[in-house]
Amino acid sequence: MNRNHLRVGAAAVAALLAFAGCGARSDTTDESTSGGDANKTVKIGVIAPLSGDLSSFGAGIRNSVELAIREANESGAIPGWTIELAAEDDQATPDVGQNAATKLAGDDTVAGVVGTMNSSVAQPVIPVLDAANIPMVSPANTLPALTKGADLTNPVRPNANFFRLCASDDKQGPFAAQYLLDSGITKVATVHDKKVYGKGLVDEFAKYFEANGGEIVAAETINPDDKDYNTVITKIKEANPEAIYYGGESPQAGPLSAQAKAAGLNVPLMGGDGLYDASFIDLAGAAGEGDLATSVGAPVDTLASAKAFVDAYNAAGFDSGYSAYGAYAYDAANTIIEALKVTLPGAADVKSVRAQIVEAVGKVSFTGATGDIAFDEFGDNKSRVLTVYKVESGAWTPVKSGEA
Amino acid sequence: MNVTLFFEQLVNGLSLGSLYALIAVGYTVVYGIIQLINFAHGEIFMVGAFGAYTVWMVVGSPTALSWPMALFVLLPAMILGGVVLSVGTALATERFAYRPLRGAPRLAPLISAIGISVFLQEFVRLFYRKLPGAPDSKRAIPFPRIEGITGHSLQVGAVAIKLSSVFTVVALAVCTAFLWYYINKTKTGRAMVATSQDPDTARLMGIDVDAVIMRAFAVGAGLAAVAGVAHGLYIGNIDFKMGFMAGLKAFTAAVLGGIGNINGAVVGGLVLGIVESFAAQLGNSAWKDVWAFVILILVLVFRPQGILGAKVADRA
Amino acid sequence: MTEKLLARAGAVRVAGVVAAALGLVTVLLPWAYGKTALDNMTYFFGPSFLQLCYAILLLVALVALAAKWFRGRLGRFAKAVAWADTAKAAGLGAAGYALACLVAIAVQNGGLVMIEPGGWAAFGLALVTGGAALVLPGSAKPTLGKLKSPPWVQILAIAAAMAVVLFAAAYELNRADIEDFLVFGCFAVAVVVVGRAAGLFGWLSLAAANNRRVLSLAAFAVAFAFPFTQNGSDANMSVANQVLIFAATAMGLNIVVGLVGLLDMGYIAFLGAGAFTAAVLSKSAFATLSVDLPFPVTVLISGVVASLLGLLIGTPTLRVSGDYLAIVTLAFGEIFRITMNNLDGVDGPNITNGSNGVPAIPNLDFFGFNLGQVHHFLGVDLGRQSNYYWLLLVVIAVVIVVFSNLAHSRIGRGWVAIREDELAAEAMGVNTFALKLLAFAGGAFLAGMAGSVKAYRDTAVSPDQFVFLESAFLLAAVVLGGMGTIGGVLIGATLLKLLPEKLRFFEDYRLLLFGALMVLMMRFRPEGIVADERRQLEFHDADEELAEEVEEDLVSHHSLLNPETDRGAVA
Repeated sequence: MNRNHLRVGAAAVAALLAFAGCGARSDTTDESTSGGDANKTVKIGVIAPLSGDLSSFGAGIRNSVELAIREANESGAIPGWTIELAAEDDQATPDVGQNAATKLAGDDTVAGVVGTMNSSVAQPVIPVLDAANIPMVSPANTLPALTKGADLTNPVRPNANFFRLCASDDKQGPFAAQYLLDSGITKVATVHDKKVYGKGLVDEFAKYFEANGGEIVAAETINPDDKDYNTVITKIKEANPEAIYYGGESPQAGPLSAQAKAAGLNVPLMGGDGLYDASFIDLAGAAGEGDLATSVGAPVDTLASAKAFVDAYNAAGFDSGYSAYGAYAYDAANTIIEALKVTLPGAADVKSVRAQIVEAVGKVSFTGATGDIAFDEFGDNKSRVLTVYKVESGAWTPVKSGEA
Repeated sequence: MNVTLFFEQLVNGLSLGSLYALIAVGYTVVYGIIQLINFAHGEIFMVGAFGAYTVWMVVGSPTALSWPMALFVLLPAMILGGVVLSVGTALATERFAYRPLRGAPRLAPLISAIGISVFLQEFVRLFYRKLPGAPDSKRAIPFPRIEGITGHSLQVGAVAIKLSSVFTVVALAVCTAFLWYYINKTKTGRAMVATSQDPDTARLMGIDVDAVIMRAFAVGAGLAAVAGVAHGLYIGNIDFKMGFMAGLKAFTAAVLGGIGNINGAVVGGLVLGIVESFAAQLGNSAWKDVWAFVILILVLVFRPQGILGAKVADRA
Repeated sequence: MTEKLLARAGAVRVAGVVAAALGLVTVLLPWAYGKTALDNMTYFFGPSFLQLCYAILLLVALVALAAKWFRGRLGRFAKAVAWADTAKAAGLGAAGYALACLVAIAVQNGGLVMIEPGGWAAFGLALVTGGAALVLPGSAKPTLGKLKSPPWVQILAIAAAMAVVLFAAAYELNRADIEDFLVFGCFAVAVVVVGRAAGLFGWLSLAAANNRRVLSLAAFAVAFAFPFTQNGSDANMSVANQVLIFAATAMGLNIVVGLVGLLDMGYIAFLGAGAFTAAVLSKSAFATLSVDLPFPVTVLISGVVASLLGLLIGTPTLRVSGDYLAIVTLAFGEIFRITMNNLDGVDGPNITNGSNGVPAIPNLDFFGFNLGQVHHFLGVDLGRQSNYYWLLLVVIAVVIVVFSNLAHSRIGRGWVAIREDELAAEAMGVNTFALKLLAFAGGAFLAGMAGSVKAYRDTAVSPDQFVFLESAFLLAAVVLGGMGTIGGVLIGATLLKLLPEKLRFFEDYRLLLFGALMVLMMRFRPEGIVADERRQLEFHDADEELAEEVEEDLVSHHSLLNPETDRGAVA
């Protein structure tokens, strides 16, 4: 190969380069400008169980948040900013939840987090986000201590960044107790699954029920891994209760109801929002007729905003339903978006205004899919509308709504 | 505790105990021959229940059959389906996971068994729902009603006995009778006993030990499948996790009766079921499982040969 | 056939070398059409990092293939390195790696059309190189391990290896996309395979054996430096902490299972006992016993409580062994969890708040250094997880020191003797009962210590963290990694905690894969990833070749570790 050939080759390569318009690796500046879109990015995180037993609930939460974000971006809710979703799986496990929270806290563009589903996961997650001044709005954590601290009679808010939309156990339990008392039921047997949610609910229920003239005739627990509740049912039956109050979720509550009625204990079973799910009716079968559950917010079909959410969700084409906590998650995302509307315009970046965002979340006030949304000094939703639902001809039907 | 309550809890205990006993036989038969705790046996029981459900699904999920049709056609078909699937799964695990490990240190097959247990659970959870028409297997599935059993009770004095309880106890009785005949009166059954007593001599006498081991797995799986159907009828629902606790309790029952001893497994199962129901009645139900496990530990430590005596007491 | 091949060997070798050389050129071409695929492979004359990785593999293949022509000048390396095998591994490794890149590009940018000709050429040329090496005659076993080298070379090599490990780990962990993570993972695996084929690892492990202290120090230094590679992000540190806690617990289990051979299926209870003890003693508003104790004292108490529990669980070992013991321990694990659930003031005395557990545990504070705050150090922000990471590093260092000293002591030999044959050990005067109890208590102490730090790092402790599945995972970490070894258990713990965190896309299949892996591992490599030599023999007792190899290794290690011993005399 002589020199000329080499020169020709070099020239050809140079031409090729020029033609391709490719710069050398060193100039990376074109990447940031090539977007064309001048909008800055702000992220809303989700921490929920996206895999495992509870993944159907988690998927509903994530999808609903995505829906809220999509709508906000389309309407240009925050001029100059585009909202993105950052969803993290917590596997319903505290350690993994903490990893997720740490990851989100390390991302400077995260402005708020919707989650978690389990109170046990929330416990380690909240302080991590608090340290980074990121607000967390929970659609599902019902443990009273999360907003009121260790001593409920002398409440102190432990973390200023935590807000919740669902009713805590100390509202749902008494509401259910009042409903039963109003229906003339004074002898109730309680059963729970010894988990945070179920036990909390039963504790609050029993406290109110007994203080207002009711009598707890039997207090039992079940192991959620067990399938056979007959021994507990037989024991309860002996005490002749007029109703059973169950603290826990539908996978156990459905069979419990079915087995109780099969054993001749024909009294209604009542529970919290963990029962308010189609799977309860599936598992209880015909025996579920007449069973009761409380859930937060006014019944979906009485609220225009709720109908709008359901329609939008169904139209969005997600591959799973919005499940029990979808509407709260949607509202939780909108709560954060409302706060961002106040704080982000004029802000240079997300990180520097996080403290203001937390403050703004505490001051939001709007009507969401689950009703009016505004927070009290502990971060609990001021709206105390709860609804009792009854299984009638194989579907949950609202029977009573009211302030707790 | 009044008499009615006593008998009601006794019936509860016997029903639960019958389920334990049916599963426990599988642990005992296999252990008697190859000294392996088949940790995945609880999952074989679960697979049996899903097999029965699949049969119901395949015949078009009938809900309004007359009772003779349901009881004498549908139910046997479902049991058969469960048995086929359970036995198939058990033989596959034996062939591909346990047999290659025969002769390996004892830790290896046990760890392999834990792996199979997790694998089967997850497999059912993830893939059963992909079958056309199958329900979401990630959560509990209501078991089909069998007209003539589900929802009916027998009134004996003041005590109401559910027909599903009767079915469970009768299933145990029939299976035990069948097993007794098989072990004592058939050639293959005698070969099984011989192998469990002395595998080397049995081999020298011309017994195909591999075949015997496979038969042991098959027998255990068949009974577990029957238990799976009984569980579905008695409890009302099935799910992918149902085998774990049931398997653990059944193993406890097998140890309680004396592992390796088939009659022991039956007695152990019934005793454990009754103890559990009375423990819940008399004491605090929150500690019920603790008592079951404490009994297990005490038996293992102080009477490793169990109530009826194990053939292989030197294992402990 | 072979003769024909040998006759053409020269031509094949030339073809391989040419293909490798051309392959090297492809990194100067774009591989992908879109910028977002991997680390932007769209430039002419601007190879990206991942493209350079390919070049490294191919360069090794080229050198190894060409080495034959320079045999004379290679001196003692001519025979010590398995050149042909190295070429094979590097060539095929490069092809596999290129394929992984192409798949990743297709997945990330949506379709095979997004792959530029450069990418295809890279894959094809690597395949030709690897193919050429494959048909060429293989080489004898590498003897690099037996080559003598001056100590300073060995120490330098250890330091370099550690630096590479640190860099690779930092790079790997900072990948945000799964595809990038997997592609670089492929590269790492390829490098390991090539290193093994060349005999480099044999030499390195010998160098490591000769310089144990240097190795430990270097490893610790690398681990210490890790947070500085994270640019102030705490996300990976959080995972790292999880790994360390898990590893420390698994190391405790390793004593019981790996050394003594007692199967414990409820081991998570000891971690739980430590965590609950620390939580209950902490200054949390929910703590029931809140005493203001210095942290080291808390750690000791947690360890002691856990080891008391260990003694309790270990006592039945006097009478129960084998499979029965596995079930007894499983039952104990369940009893622990249910009891923690029941100590709630209703079903039992209030110690743990039942299922609520003890949340809001305050951060540790050492002489004004609050572990909960971000500290600025050497130009890097070090967050809360980094602080706990260093604390955990101290814990794991203690755990490793305790473990390795115990394992190599009279006690450790007694344990192994019990594992091999309890009756014989007893006959030889080993106090089997005391040693077994010591194993349970000692292992539990280590797990309890880890638990106390876990309580503070998690800020909340609740009973549902200590379920049977976690015990199964611990067992799996020990079994997968290699029973009885330190490195193996560390690797096992890392894999089991890190992979689910990074490979989020098959998270729903996590347990399924875990189950299948346990079965396959028992079937094909029961001794684990890092095999304890003696145990390896145990699992392959019919394999005479292995027996010889192990013996040979033991002998050569021995003679090199003790240079004064006459080699001839040993052999």
